[in-house]
Amino acid sequence: MQINGGSVIAMVGKNCVAIASDLRLGNQALTVATNFEKVFPVTDRIYLGMAGLATDVLTLRERFRFRVNMYTIKEEREIEPETFAHLVSSTLYERRFGPYFIEPIIAGITSPAKGSKPFIAGADLIGCLNFAKDFVVVGTASDELFGIAEGLWEPDLEPEDLFETISQTFLNAVDRDAFSGWGAIVHIITPEKVITRKLQARMD
Amino acid sequence: MNTLVSRYASTSATLELQDKDGLEDENVSDTMWGSSAGFGNLGPGGLKFDIPAVHSPTDFLRLHTDDHADPSCRIKIKHGTTTLAFRFKGGVIVAVDSRATAGSYIASGTVKKVIEINKFLLGTMAGGAADCQYWETYLGIQCRLHELRNRERISVAAASKYLSNLVYSYKGMGLSMGTMICGWDKTGPALFYVDSDGTRLKGDVFSVGSGSTFAYGVLDQGYHWDMTDEEAQELGRRSIYAAGHRDAYSGNTLNLYHVKEDGWRFIGNYDISKLHYDGPGDVPGSTGKGYGYEERTAGLSSSDFQEVVA
Amino acid sequence: MSDLMAHPYHQYHPQQPQQRQFNPYTENGGTILAIAGADFSVIAGDTRQSEGYSIQTRYAPKVFKLTDKAVLAVNGFAADGNMFVKKVKQRLEWYRHAHSKDMPLRAIARMIQTMLYAQRFFPYYVYNILGGIEEDGTGAVYSFDPVGSYEREACRAAGAASALVQPFLDNQIYFKNQTPALGSAHPTHLPLRHVVELVIDSFTGATERHIEVGDSLEMYIVLARGRSLQGLEGLKDVRELSTPGSNGERLFVLRKPLKRD
Repeated sequence: MQINGGSVIAMVGKNCVAIASDLRLGNQALTVATNFEKVFPVTDRIYLGMAGLATDVLTLRERFRFRVNMYTIKEEREIEPETFAHLVSSTLYERRFGPYFIEPIIAGITSPAKGSKPFIAGADLIGCLNFAKDFVVVGTASDELFGIAEGLWEPDLEPEDLFETISQTFLNAVDRDAFSGWGAIVHIITPEKVITRKLQARMD
Repeated sequence: MNTLVSRYASTSATLELQDKDGLEDENVSDTMWGSSAGFGNLGPGGLKFDIPAVHSPTDFLRLHTDDHADPSCRIKIKHGTTTLAFRFKGGVIVAVDSRATAGSYIASGTVKKVIEINKFLLGTMAGGAADCQYWETYLGIQCRLHELRNRERISVAAASKYLSNLVYSYKGMGLSMGTMICGWDKTGPALFYVDSDGTRLKGDVFSVGSGSTFAYGVLDQGYHWDMTDEEAQELGRRSIYAAGHRDAYSGNTLNLYHVKEDGWRFIGNYDISKLHYDGPGDVPGSTGKGYGYEERTAGLSSSDFQEVVA
Repeated sequence: MSDLMAHPYHQYHPQQPQQRQFNPYTENGGTILAIAGADFSVIAGDTRQSEGYSIQTRYAPKVFKLTDKAVLAVNGFAADGNMFVKKVKQRLEWYRHAHSKDMPLRAIARMIQTMLYAQRFFPYYVYNILGGIEEDGTGAVYSFDPVGSYEREACRAAGAASALVQPFLDNQIYFKNQTPALGSAHPTHLPLRHVVELVIDSFTGATERHIEVGDSLEMYIVLARGRSLQGLEGLKDVRELSTPGSNGERLFVLRKPLKRD
């Protein structure tokens, strides 16, 4: 899991969620790329972030795209975040004895019919879900992310305040990890829109 | 090979295993208090180190501290990386980064990897931080004693030889040190590479550490003997920037020194990430732009130009 | 099958008897932290001592007073840590007898380097943080790795939860990744009260997310000679360890409970 490096975090705010990842793709000590995003849109309101082995990140991005498309065709509606989290879990458990080396994070807002509530979840590499109320962290800088998030997060942050909080948490955490960093991207998901920003991070 | 060393060297580490009399009560001796206490374990009996009473002390040490053999070992010794030094007509340029990692955790971003041995000699740190700090302080003591005994400043060749002979007597015991001894003596600017295997090399251009390959790339294409001082300092900065940017174990800040005939001069401390975006600022030799690829090439690609419709 | 037995201290060969070797080290968990101010120093550590998933004791101090102006925090392997503190205290006592004065802080730091490096081939498994007041009256923190490399810094966290606490300190003390408001600059030194609150917040955060941290927090505060007690008022259960009435540096200790789960 430390071959390519990378970290992802998601946080809950007041009627919004934020998800952020770094942009590094490495080969152990060598930094190969500084534009490797690890967070992908699943629907307009659900984003999936994955940290770990880069080839599995890309493969799973495609597998989930397929599975979500099949769901949408069969159900004739968009998938809910909690349902998608369970879809991620069962997909990973299919490979229980030869797993994908990634840890996923799901962040989204439920549909207006269900109240437009914020939702985040994390899982381990074989699909054990963690439905957190505050934040979830994965990747090589997970310890650092836990420490700062625990100190800086508070409930009911507005979207702009949530953006500041998640950005400070993420930048300072990856600055203490040799395998994460080299740029960062943050998505703030609200019921109306998604705001995406790139952060000016340390490039060393 | 080790038995040869232990038979003929007087400060060999293995001699301590044989020489058990003298100090029954470990660590308590006349050297422990009073003004001799300041010498630590360099008392009148020479260097004294405790060795564990196991079959193979070197295997024991490697088991507990060697990151490369077993990344889950408990004792994580801080490692230092990417240092460079080169000789040119205007003296010696020494440039180092300041990151120390313990495993993948960045333990510190403010490590001083240039050790000021005396006003005319600089030593760099790569490998085990404690080994470099400790032995280069020891080298400073020996250089001062040399000055007092011979009424003359020590040459860089002699200083580097003191260090290399010293670490050679601990060869195989697990020390990790790759250092460059830089100075200006009677022969002009001088640069020696010394490492814990016992290698000692005189040369013009050296780079040591995990990021050395990246630094060499920039250094080799820009180096020539007749550079001006500004060009040389700029080359040092760009080389360490390249290593800090690409190597995960190097980065944070850059310390730049210039050794001239009258001694060394500290040029400055630069934040490597700031060098990427903004460049070194208003210093002689800089182009005023950032060092990063995007910053240097923005707007210059053919794909950036609009099609001109005649 | 041989994977289950793969362990550096346990050799398993099918045709030969099993061999076990004594492992001289173990990890006792816990976290320590020190922050230097303009004219004070705060050195803190939790008091839980654990081994694996068991708690050995809820109160095992990791922070020790050396002199009125120097405090040493040790973390890693408790047996090595306690022994190392004893040896440092003994060397300080010898120095007092030989020189009729206390060792200055930077000299204690250099001495700790030589003491640790003397065990380069059988290291003390201890991460040391030395905090106190320098000869010129400024607060100082020196941090060491297990074999003696050291550096003077403004703040340092070490131990099991160091990766959780240190980046938080980078953001709140060094203001890393923060740009100051237009026209102003970040303060170079923080007031004592603010620093004490940061220490308490760091430990409560670490206790939440790391199993080896908790039970209670012990914080030592060293104030420079002549500095008023401003910043300490309102803090409960503060005890003075320096001799009251002497007009030298002053040393206070306070304890706060942490979650015990």
